[in-house]
Amino acid sequence: MANVTFPFPFPEHLITLLPEMIVAVLAMALLLIDVFITKGSKITAYLAILTTMIAAVATWSLQSSEVLVAFYGMFVFDAFAVYSKMLIFAGTAFGMILSLEYMKKEVNIGEYYILMLFAMLGMMLMVSANNFIIMYLGLELMALSVYVLVAYQREVLRSNEAALKYFILGALSSCMLLYGITFLYGVTGSFNFAEMGHALQNADDSSHAAVMLGLVFMIAGLGFKVSMAPFHMWTPDAYEGAPTPVTAFMSVAPKVAGFAILMRVVADLLPAVQHEYETILTILAVLTIVVGNLAAIAQRNIKRMLAYSTVGHVGFIMMGLIAGTADGFSGILIYLSIYLVMTMGVFAIIILMNREGIQGELLDDFAGLSKVRPGYALAMGLLLFSMAGIPFLGGFWAKYAVFMAAVEAGHLYLVLFALLFSAVGAFYYLRVVKYIYFDDERVAFNFVESKPIQFTVIVAAIGVVLIGVFPSPLMDLCKQALGGLV
Amino acid sequence: MVGLSQYLIVAAALFSLGVIGLFLNRKNVISILMCIELMLLAVNINLVAFSHHLGDLAGQIFVFFVLTVAACEVAVGLAILVSFYRLRRSIEIEDINTLQG
Repeated sequence: MANVTFPFPFPEHLITLLPEMIVAVLAMALLLIDVFITKGSKITAYLAILTTMIAAVATWSLQSSEVLVAFYGMFVFDAFAVYSKMLIFAGTAFGMILSLEYMKKEVNIGEYYILMLFAMLGMMLMVSANNFIIMYLGLELMALSVYVLVAYQREVLRSNEAALKYFILGALSSCMLLYGITFLYGVTGSFNFAEMGHALQNADDSSHAAVMLGLVFMIAGLGFKVSMAPFHMWTPDAYEGAPTPVTAFMSVAPKVAGFAILMRVVADLLPAVQHEYETILTILAVLTIVVGNLAAIAQRNIKRMLAYSTVGHVGFIMMGLIAGTADGFSGILIYLSIYLVMTMGVFAIIILMNREGIQGELLDDFAGLSKVRPGYALAMGLLLFSMAGIPFLGGFWAKYAVFMAAVEAGHLYLVLFALLFSAVGAFYYLRVVKYIYFDDERVAFNFVESKPIQFTVIVAAIGVVLIGVFPSPLMDLCKQALGGLV
Repeated sequence: MVGLSQYLIVAAALFSLGVIGLFLNRKNVISILMCIELMLLAVNINLVAFSHHLGDLAGQIFVFFVLTVAACEVAVGLAILVSFYRLRRSIEIEDINTLQG
């Protein structure tokens, strides 16, 4: 064979992109396969779940103790990326499993799962990004796919309306993020996180205003994606209007990706402006915790209530960012892992109770569940107790990890404040438990039972109990996952 | 002589116009899409100005990505809008009001 020379040097560590390539190729292949599959069949769904699993296996088998950098520093593959991707795979796979029954009446359902794969691909790129260009492309790939997923029930007005609101605010947030990035680029002359961080350390005082402008816009833009207050306005509408499995998916996986980016930015880019970003994040965290926990009390719709509860959880997770230490970051990973399990379980139960979008959305509809289905009632009770952070369930250790990290980093007052609002938050979770156990049935239950959803409920309920009793394996795993980040 | 700061001022003005248009606009969603487009173009002016000032090509490369993504974004946005219009028969901002609380 003739000696082939590339016009450019062959990218180093190209193999680290294997999971991304697999997902991209298989998702596009599925688009073709889907055309030949009879309408209403679930083959595309199963193939999409299989793709997620293949990507997970590929990512896991590629992991190494070193930090591998591909594409001239644009793409980084380290233990942190592997762990975050695992969470994203789990979130996507559960989102697909929950959709199997719920979305089966939709026409052209194959594309739904393929869009989920593309969203997952975007998130995978985000957590591995080491450069703002890659990060932006991953973020938009995720966001554009999720806008369409939210609008997927085309005959349902609120689904469309939710997507429209989410789209407008999402596009605004992308603009703000980009505008912030341009100023940081102007000061540092690079889009690479580490190079920018280095340049910021050497930047003179004259550029301080531009750095602050860039920092504020960038945090606002990323804050939109993880629904920090006051940028959370889209969250309740999008959560309520979206098909329930999509709500479950988008309340977990994009949050993991968003926080992964925030952690990388805080670790690599911002040490030079530590005081400034800590102040900004503290203000935002206080607002987020207050808004999330107080507004949730006023909600009658459980999806809307969970949307505000997500905002509250995001506030708690931000405390790990403010701490900025290795413990803080591993706390975030612990929180996100446990949050994934809890959220999937709760949404699975909501889907079980959903009868064409009527039942199982208002809090009243849960009244008397314990008398009809003690098993589901017990699972829901456990998951809600865990979300409220009652000791010895998973959610308690999640809060414990981030709170302890924040205390050690010297943010005692912030932690006391968060504890107070965590107690306020317990009220609205326990109110649902009260409906389930102490109220009488108001409408006849009509469960849409299916094996995959029951499987999710059981996994989640056992998960929170197991993590609650034996938290140390997960904590060790999350500590090891920080390799390469701090 | 037109320097870096003039470009930044133009970009800032465009960006602010976009934000103001987005929040003050009470008529219809199409103009919101135009405001978003305006903001992205302001970002592009910033990128090109900084790129030229620094003598670094990366900023101008980013502009191409931003332009491409902006086109995709508008495509998705218009698709959602058409789907919304079919059900609601209106694209007035005031009619986007089913979800509240």
